[in-house]
Amino acid sequence: MVDGLTTTIEIASLAMAVWCLITTFRDRPMVVPHLVGMAVLWLLVIAQAVVSTVQMAGGERPAETATFIGYLATIVLIPPACATWGFVERTRWGPAVIAFACLILPVMMVRLQQVWDPAHV
Amino acid sequence: MSDPARRPEGAAAARSGPGRVLVAVYAVFALAATARAGVQIATRFDEAPLAYVLSALAGVVYIVATVGIARSGRTSRRVAVASITVELVGVLVVGALSILDPAAFPDDTVWSRFGSGYLFIPLVLPVLGLLWLRRVSRAEAAPTA
Repeated sequence: MVDGLTTTIEIASLAMAVWCLITTFRDRPMVVPHLVGMAVLWLLVIAQAVVSTVQMAGGERPAETATFIGYLATIVLIPPACATWGFVERTRWGPAVIAFACLILPVMMVRLQQVWDPAHV
Repeated sequence: MSDPARRPEGAAAARSGPGRVLVAVYAVFALAATARAGVQIATRFDEAPLAYVLSALAGVVYIVATVGIARSGRTSRRVAVASITVELVGVLVVGALSILDPAAFPDDTVWSRFGSGYLFIPLVLPVLGLLWLRRVSRAEAAPTA
């Protein structure tokens, strides 16, 4: 895992969450810019997954490999799944779905970092 | 249910509006609990069999509840109510036991200490789920001319 990337994902995710919460409170549905934002966030997450996989292939092992892979797979799934699920709902509750996903994501990134290197955090 | 006219035809209301957020939260918990239990059972079942079996049970209950809320129809709603009730009882019983007898739970489950490791969402979620389902079935029972 790359620390800078983890921090970037956490900040980007929280920014998305704030944006989507504002949209929810303004009683607007999700629009295409929200989807673009989620796509960028997803690319960042995928980048972290690819880097981690390369590192693992290179012999670097997380403290708990199975748990790490489980978390990583879940984290990679969440942005596209929630973006799709939220976009289908054409009310204020669409962005609310994304806001939830973007609040969960940083928490899971912290957990992922802990599983990767328990001594580091 | 302030504006039933805007809703799609039929009984699909449970997954629209706030229900859509509820389904998303349930789906994430279903995924997280099941994945966690899978890893625990596969890698170190001997350490805390009770906790890991409970984690797996919680995962299954979340999956059933997710599908129950997301699908329309009365049967699905009953399945959802039943599974969410099991979930509520589970988080209360396991939560209380994990505090009274920590030795029986050497490793955490989603329901340990009333879900404190998961921001107490496991405790709040079934209450919100039951309230939401009650609202949906009332809205459906009411005649919408």
